[in-house]
Amino acid sequence: MPNMRLLVVDDNAALRKGLSVRLRANGYEVLFAEDAISATAVILMERPDLVILDLGLPGGDGFDVMERLHRSDPLAKIPVIVLTGREVAGNRNRALQAGAAAFFQKPMEDGTLLSTIRSALNMSRDRSHLGESSISC
Amino acid sequence: MKELSPQPAQENQEQLTAHLAKKSHELRNALACIRQFGNILADGLAGELSDEQREYVAIMLEKASTIRRVLDSSLDGSAGLLEVATNKIDRPSKVGMAHA
Repeated sequence: MPNMRLLVVDDNAALRKGLSVRLRANGYEVLFAEDAISATAVILMERPDLVILDLGLPGGDGFDVMERLHRSDPLAKIPVIVLTGREVAGNRNRALQAGAAAFFQKPMEDGTLLSTIRSALNMSRDRSHLGESSISC
Repeated sequence: MKELSPQPAQENQEQLTAHLAKKSHELRNALACIRQFGNILADGLAGELSDEQREYVAIMLEKASTIRRVLDSSLDGSAGLLEVATNKIDRPSKVGMAHA
């Protein structure tokens, strides 16, 4: 899916680098943030098409970022994929209830992550088109 | 007879669970990087590899998968088992202890 901009939020620099190589090889433009506060700022300024979000972050956590996103109607439509080293128990349900499109525990399978990104972007685009058509009616 | 709260034992269990969760988190982040860059090399995203280099990277990725399986089945599992085990124990609300 060309020209799509993904924001990778993770405090681990090596993981950001590795993800960016993989995502760029698949045609995505990649933005970065390494803490909860700059993540929110980048989302507000750049309006990425999708966010890959770690939960354990300096300056808050991934749940704080999702909560801030959902306070704003246009930002709440940006799909979020949680990618975390935290345990599944408790965190997966909490993340999905907070509005995440998907939850992955590290280490993730590249193929599964990429197909989930494509699905989330497709769903987001379809919702956007539906929204436009309902407005025109 | 002096009554003692079971709180220290519960605190120890909570500390151990938190410690295991922290170690699991650290290992999972490190393992994610190893697999990420291993796959980048294997897929030729950082340049073509020789047959020998490809073989070595494949071994590295295979061993990373072994570590992941161990992590999934033991470290994370032990934290869960610890919770199950402590939940199954009917601890008295207070423990009495005689002092000389």
